[in-house]
Amino acid sequence: MTCPSCGSTVPDSARFCESCGAQLGQPAVVPAAAGAPPPADHPLGDAPISAPTRKPVGFLADPPKAAGRRPCGECGGEVGPDLYCLACGTKAPSERDHFEEQPASWVAGVCDKAIGKSRNEDAMALLAGEAPGSRAVLVVLDGVSNSVDSDVASLAGARAAREVLRVPLPAGMGTPESRDAAVRKVFANAVAAANTAIVAVTDPDSPNPASATFSAAVLEGRRISWANIGDSRSYWIPDSGQPLQLSVDDSVAQEQIESGVAREVAETGPQAHAITKWLGRDAEDIVPSVGSREVEASGWLLTCSDGLWNYISAPEAMAAQVRATGTTTPLDLAQALVAFANASGGHDNITAALARVDVSDLGQNDRTPTPGGVPSDG
Amino acid sequence: MAEFSASVYQNEFLPDGGTDVNAIVTITCQGAGTAGQSGSGGAGEIIIVDTSGSMGPATMAAAKDAAQAALAEIVDGTWFAVIAGADRAMLAYPQVSSGPGMTKMDAQARQDASAAIGRFVGSGGTAISTWLDLAGQLFSSVTEITQRHVLLLTDGENRERPGRLDEAINRATGYYQADCRGAGTDWQVAEIRRIAQALLGTVDIIPSPAEMRAQFQDIMRKAMARGVADASLRVWTPQGAQVLFVRQVSPTVEDLSSRRTPVNPLTGDYPTGAWADESRDYHVAIRVPAKAIGQEQLAARVQLALGADVVTQGLVKATWSNNSELTTRIDQQVAHYTGQAELADAIQEGLAAKAAGDEATATTKLGRAVQLAAETGNDEATSKLRKVVDVDNEKEGTVRLKRTIEKADEMALDTASTKTTRIRKEPS
Repeated sequence: MTCPSCGSTVPDSARFCESCGAQLGQPAVVPAAAGAPPPADHPLGDAPISAPTRKPVGFLADPPKAAGRRPCGECGGEVGPDLYCLACGTKAPSERDHFEEQPASWVAGVCDKAIGKSRNEDAMALLAGEAPGSRAVLVVLDGVSNSVDSDVASLAGARAAREVLRVPLPAGMGTPESRDAAVRKVFANAVAAANTAIVAVTDPDSPNPASATFSAAVLEGRRISWANIGDSRSYWIPDSGQPLQLSVDDSVAQEQIESGVAREVAETGPQAHAITKWLGRDAEDIVPSVGSREVEASGWLLTCSDGLWNYISAPEAMAAQVRATGTTTPLDLAQALVAFANASGGHDNITAALARVDVSDLGQNDRTPTPGGVPSDG
Repeated sequence: MAEFSASVYQNEFLPDGGTDVNAIVTITCQGAGTAGQSGSGGAGEIIIVDTSGSMGPATMAAAKDAAQAALAEIVDGTWFAVIAGADRAMLAYPQVSSGPGMTKMDAQARQDASAAIGRFVGSGGTAISTWLDLAGQLFSSVTEITQRHVLLLTDGENRERPGRLDEAINRATGYYQADCRGAGTDWQVAEIRRIAQALLGTVDIIPSPAEMRAQFQDIMRKAMARGVADASLRVWTPQGAQVLFVRQVSPTVEDLSSRRTPVNPLTGDYPTGAWADESRDYHVAIRVPAKAIGQEQLAARVQLALGADVVTQGLVKATWSNNSELTTRIDQQVAHYTGQAELADAIQEGLAAKAAGDEATATTKLGRAVQLAAETGNDEATSKLRKVVDVDNEKEGTVRLKRTIEKADEMALDTASTKTTRIRKEPS
């Protein structure tokens, strides 16, 4: 096969182009059983409602691919064909080790190997409508490092989930309860799609099958909806006022916190990073915890992996770090947060995905539509 | 078409704060072809025979025979000339007074040149600078020659005002290559080595006239096998880095550090001369600013360049690690050649001390040389050292200077001091 980025010939099995470092191929496509009845374990197997039908108007396109090779991250110099900077010699990270996405001016993310790691098992997949505040999808998966090929699996999973979240969340049948149930269903589908993709790229004989966390947040107008499995997180960080950790970890530390142990103690204990739920072939429970809320002020929706929050776990600490950068450009902020985590040790892969919410962009009509699709006030 | 390849042997892992990166880069050439036949220009050969009065009848007869045998090895179509060297240089063949001072080899030219060599008579002194300068003039009289090689034979010490020879060496440096041989024991190894090193050639002693013919044939065969006219070792280092040294370490030790020609602020070329089908090892040492644990960076791109074309490249890397198992490992190749370079220095310094009458230093240095030769498996150095010193303990390097030494043995040790051995390579 040939590299779509530079045209070099590469082996069919290659994951990255040897000559330019571009990532090759799409993550394994999850085979759809066309025409066949859904299998018993299919997420829609015997659902009480049909899969939501969606108008194509809300369909969000993938973020544009970065053109050519990025300049050296260290000195800004040109990167040579051997993937080292021609000026300072710094090794250019492969597309898997460090990538950035900016689907719209107000949404961006950085996924980075971190200086203390040899492989980037974090993955990220973003979507956004062009108009600020219209619609954004942030998906972050953190591959578990003691499993085989979890870098491949996490990226396949993130992109599979993104497919499910490409169209607007459903509004349900007219009541908040039905909307919540429909949203819950969509997130369950997204998680199931991610899980299927992860399992599909896992060697069936692997004694350490790939596994990953899952954290997704969807912003639609003023409404944030999120879903979580494991210990990647979503935060709401208003420009002023009380920041919030939206998602709840599935971890031993979280269980300890709930039983009264102080956060600092629980999150630094021996079990701090033990997760109680995950995706993968050996996953037992892949139903995500889901939540949603309306935001009233300008601020940031952040979805991140523990490579970032390890150093600033409490919402106040995270908010202080975000506010200290003083930027309203999401890519700048994502880069700054990744740089901060690397400067703090970079002990784990780092992902920071951000959507900027500016209330001045949001009219009254952007208040969450009443179930049924008819605006209640406006 | 010649094909080049490069492999790098190093321990890329540096401890926290580490700055110095050492690597052995092996460059191999295959399919070099024959000198002057690769289409990149003609090859030129000049044979210089010392015809000073010091050449005894036996040596002169052997030198004539050897020079004639060398003619036989020059491939037809190669430009050549023969110089008779004494207190001035004389163009012995072709016998022209104007126009190109070289002619193309064919059967007739070989016969005529042989006859001219047969008429050599020893007389006069030794002014090697004039020989080198005439060779340069002859090469420059034929513009199509791009690959220039000289075979120089002398038997005596240069008798010129100090500095003249060095000036002539400077004029020839980078223009032609020269393999130099000394007949008997009345010549100065250091003096002739200076010529050979600057002109990217070899130096050796021919202790007895009987060995001359075979040596000349061998030199000329090797010269004719160099189908790649001229190549440079090109070394790129990152901004802020410092090249500590660039040394050829095999087949002989030659420090190239001072011979850098800048290509751009980060890149320099070091001359390597012509290439046959062969493999050469280079030791590069680079000092880079330390980076954080976990960072990886390139410390050097070591390339072989033919003119502007880079034909192969080896990457020398640095990765900072806090794993002492990784960072304390010393690459076998680097260790071996570090020992070989020290061996060359120990022999040369030991012999110089001995010549200056400083027996204590000579004993220490030659003892260290015996130790290093044994450690690095350099059997040639070991056997030559044993003709100069009595070894009490090879491992400890304790030796005694022999009371009576053949001058030729001492000179043979000196000329062989830069020859290195290789060890089996396992890619790192």
